[in-house]
Amino acid sequence: MAKKSKAAASTGAANVDLGEVERVLSFMEKHGLDELEYDHQGLHIRLKKAGGHPGAHAGASYPRAHGQEPPAAPAPAVSASPASNPPVAEPQPTPAVAENLHTVKSPIVGTFYSAPSPDAAPFVSVGARVEVGQVLCIIEAMKLMNEIESDVAGEVVQILVENGHPVEYGASLFGIRPAGKKK
Amino acid sequence: MFKKILIANRGEIALRVLSACKELGVRTVAVYSEADRHSLHVRFADEAICIGPPRSSESYLNIPQVISAAEIANVDAIHPGYGFLSENANFAEVCEASHITFIGPTPDVIRMMGEKDRARSEMAAAGLPVIPGSDGIVPDEESAKKVAAEVGLPLMIKAAEGGGGRGMRMVRTKKELIPAFQTARAEAEQAFGSPNVYMEKLIERPRHIEFQVLGDRHGNVIHLGERECSLQRRHQKLLEESPSPIMDAALRERMGKKVVEALKKVGYSSAGTVEFLRDASGDIYFIEMNARIQVEHPVTEMVTGVDLVKSQIRMAAGERLKDVVGPVEFRGHAIECRINAEDPDTFTPSPGRITAFRVPGGPGIRVDTAAYADAVVPPYYDSLVAKLIAYGRDRAEATARMQGALDGFVIEGIKTTIPLHKRILAEPHFVKGEFDTYFLERMHAAQVQALSA
Repeated sequence: MAKKSKAAASTGAANVDLGEVERVLSFMEKHGLDELEYDHQGLHIRLKKAGGHPGAHAGASYPRAHGQEPPAAPAPAVSASPASNPPVAEPQPTPAVAENLHTVKSPIVGTFYSAPSPDAAPFVSVGARVEVGQVLCIIEAMKLMNEIESDVAGEVVQILVENGHPVEYGASLFGIRPAGKKK
Repeated sequence: MFKKILIANRGEIALRVLSACKELGVRTVAVYSEADRHSLHVRFADEAICIGPPRSSESYLNIPQVISAAEIANVDAIHPGYGFLSENANFAEVCEASHITFIGPTPDVIRMMGEKDRARSEMAAAGLPVIPGSDGIVPDEESAKKVAAEVGLPLMIKAAEGGGGRGMRMVRTKKELIPAFQTARAEAEQAFGSPNVYMEKLIERPRHIEFQVLGDRHGNVIHLGERECSLQRRHQKLLEESPSPIMDAALRERMGKKVVEALKKVGYSSAGTVEFLRDASGDIYFIEMNARIQVEHPVTEMVTGVDLVKSQIRMAAGERLKDVVGPVEFRGHAIECRINAEDPDTFTPSPGRITAFRVPGGPGIRVDTAAYADAVVPPYYDSLVAKLIAYGRDRAEATARMQGALDGFVIEGIKTTIPLHKRILAEPHFVKGEFDTYFLERMHAAQVQALSA
């Protein structure tokens, strides 16, 4: 079943030749087309099949599910269970980075550490100037310490993860104002 | 029982494992690629961790990412589902080394069953009939000629690291042998990383019969009957059923006993499927074993009443077979149609947004799916949209229910194989239970001929 667009009326086509439309429709059926746009001497028609499926009934309308956004990663699970599963902070969706900043994202799943070792100073603090390739943090995965390097030169404006917290792939870690950009 | 399980998979099987976990009171952790951000398994799990970009190799197959997610979520066990890492012995070992229980067989057994020629010789040594063929890998052209002379033509050249219908070449004439042998080795190297091949006599018009097994970690193994999976296209199953129309209780008991004995010998545990080909004269030969839960497991669940996934989890946690599964009884008949996002005639993949989705119901109907209206079927993974299972007192009732269910299953926005399944069920030979693995090919050829007439 084809739905005619209202374009025919709006282009001011004086007489819509239904015979012509029917020819076009059977052309579509014959060649198994789902969509066809037809433009001839001021007549513009766009025909689109309601459903490609043999089971679909002409004109039937199915309730369209709302495109709900899924909930953000579930709230922290503090498990009240015995010691075998101590409560663990789940990777939180990190706060959004301000628009004019470049986001450094985590390329791996793991635990974020801001310093090379527990008693050392952090790699960077807010306000620090960094170069391309400079180490910003460590993400530990499977007992391996992975150094995460900055992919831009600029100033660290936001640090979005707390030391020792888990991060997932793609988590925003740092907001950096690229060098040469206005504040 | 485990406190928390990470599901290292996606789609309908992730949901399946999720529901088994929920029934057992186990917390669930989903891992997902960026393409699956809006998936149901992510939505319904207790926790969810993004592990990579869309491509499987960078996400679901990325062992460090999966293990890292398991560590930060502090899980006790990982269920690998089917496909992906489910038969990766390496992954099972990494889990063990990380003190995470891998819900499946031991790494050694996975490895054994993954090397198809080795599985063949081990099962032969353990008493299962195997197809006449080479004694392990065929190393060179001279050996290939020798085996061909002994076994006769036609024959199949199979990749040792292949399986699941991949990496196989048919040889019908002597002239074809050496070129096919060389090509098979080259293809095997490309696809599986090893050029090793073995050879087997070709079974003409075979029927694919497989036995479901379960084993605990205390050496006990049982079988849960057979499934027939002869309706395949290019070695990919499209429709499965249990019991097999040509199986009788006596043969089932005999074969089942042999299977159980063989698997006890090799120390098999968890769920698994032993695959056979049955030739026209009724002889049954072992071809390979799948050391994991399979796509078509629901038909066995329907006729036995046993929850295979829950059983896997319970036995991985140390429970004994007799406490998890009592004596197995077979009742009724079940059929499963794999509804794929493909053109029903050309099988061209049809990913995209589902615009309408209505699932059939009623007596004896089960639908395993992760799809929903407005969901997007991504192009990065397999094309399975839903598994439609119909159960009845007998094959006729199951078939009738399946036909009704197919009529009532509405999926719009993408193409699906629903029209093909309807055609299959209407075929007189299907109704009579007379088919072999070339059935779909013949049906397609007949259709093409009818259209061009």
